[in-house]
Amino acid sequence: MYTRKNQRNLTSDQRTRFVKAVLEVKRLGRYDKYVSLHSRYFAADGESGLRVAHMAPTFFPWHRHFLIVFERELQLIDPGVSIPYWDWTRDSSASSKLWADDFMGGNGRSSDGQVMTGPFAYRNGGWPIVFGVTEERYLTRNLGRPDRPLKLPSAAELTGALAIATYDTAPWNSSPHTQGFRNRIEGWTVSDKAGGYLHNRVHQWVGGHMIGASSPNDPVFWLHHAFIDLIWVRWQRQHRTSRYLPDRPLGAKDPQHGRVISSNEPMPPFGVKPSAVFDHRHYYQYEEN
Amino acid sequence: MVTRRRVLRTGLTAAAAVSGTAAALSPMLAASDRNPAAATPGAVEAALGPPGEPPQDDEGSSAPLFDEVYRNRRIQGFASDAEAGLDVFVDGRPLQLMRRVDGSWISVANHFQPFLTPLATARGAVDAIGRADLSLTNAGHHH
Repeated sequence: MYTRKNQRNLTSDQRTRFVKAVLEVKRLGRYDKYVSLHSRYFAADGESGLRVAHMAPTFFPWHRHFLIVFERELQLIDPGVSIPYWDWTRDSSASSKLWADDFMGGNGRSSDGQVMTGPFAYRNGGWPIVFGVTEERYLTRNLGRPDRPLKLPSAAELTGALAIATYDTAPWNSSPHTQGFRNRIEGWTVSDKAGGYLHNRVHQWVGGHMIGASSPNDPVFWLHHAFIDLIWVRWQRQHRTSRYLPDRPLGAKDPQHGRVISSNEPMPPFGVKPSAVFDHRHYYQYEEN
Repeated sequence: MVTRRRVLRTGLTAAAAVSGTAAALSPMLAASDRNPAAATPGAVEAALGPPGEPPQDDEGSSAPLFDEVYRNRRIQGFASDAEAGLDVFVDGRPLQLMRRVDGSWISVANHFQPFLTPLATARGAVDAIGRADLSLTNAGHHH
């Protein structure tokens, strides 16, 4: 059992150790498989086949397990490290300490989006992009998308989504007819101009690599998803009689048969059932303040 | 007539070998001279409804659904039997699109933002990647 902390409360030493472990995973050539895996498991609901990572009920448990696997990798390097979370309802400015030079580093420059400061700046040598949407080798960001400004989701928006008592509903996808908590948090149900809802809009707000298929190229991906994971914990706490849905495999006549995963069917590529990760306390706890 | 296969054959190999868009585009620029309307965004958008030109059957290839220069990048879409139903290129390099259940589209370059048409998706991708070249090998979708 270990503890995930709010990034705003990390000591200087904890910030440095997290960064060092991430850079070491990269240096050992073990980071980029997470980037490619995330991209390969992004299947869309307008096409055929199984969806696990996005536009599906397994959005929460799949990413929970994905983070646990990555976190174990970090802990092989430094057993005292865990993934901090970024509460973007509080640390919602580009001048937050999150983006300081001893942690995530700063914004991209306006000419090409290249991040020029911090441990993940290409010119500092430790963070070449191997698996990107483009051939650029440097990390990019565009905080707040100044040409069409976006705001990070507010605490009120998050509270509204957390109030939804039903985890997910048929047709279990990204359409507005899928009315549960999962689809609201994932964020497909808002207009293009508004930049999506909670989870999706945070990707849009960071910009650069975070908006593409290779979003884990930006290490802030893990801090964003640790908070998404904590949101699931808060939802479970708030709705004690609600549970993950669908809780049984969908029948052969269901249009989503074979396309979404119920509680006790294994999630590729891990082979782990959603039910195995319903209770995060088997793995870690959150320090919330 | 520029065909999908010609883009795949000439555009991609030239782009890979020379890594310059001018070389990659030269066979296609000649073709677009015959269809100047294709460079006008409004005219191209109209072609996305009912197909403007019937498919050519010579190689199972088809007329472009759209073909324009947007922010100095050549963007083209062709009907195909790919899962998404079309192939889209930016300066001759494939941009992978996926279809959402509501009929909108996302691309690898803009994974968390849906667009209403493939053309808008291609323009959104150019907005996202700026002057960078799409990777020929990386960050592909899982089909």
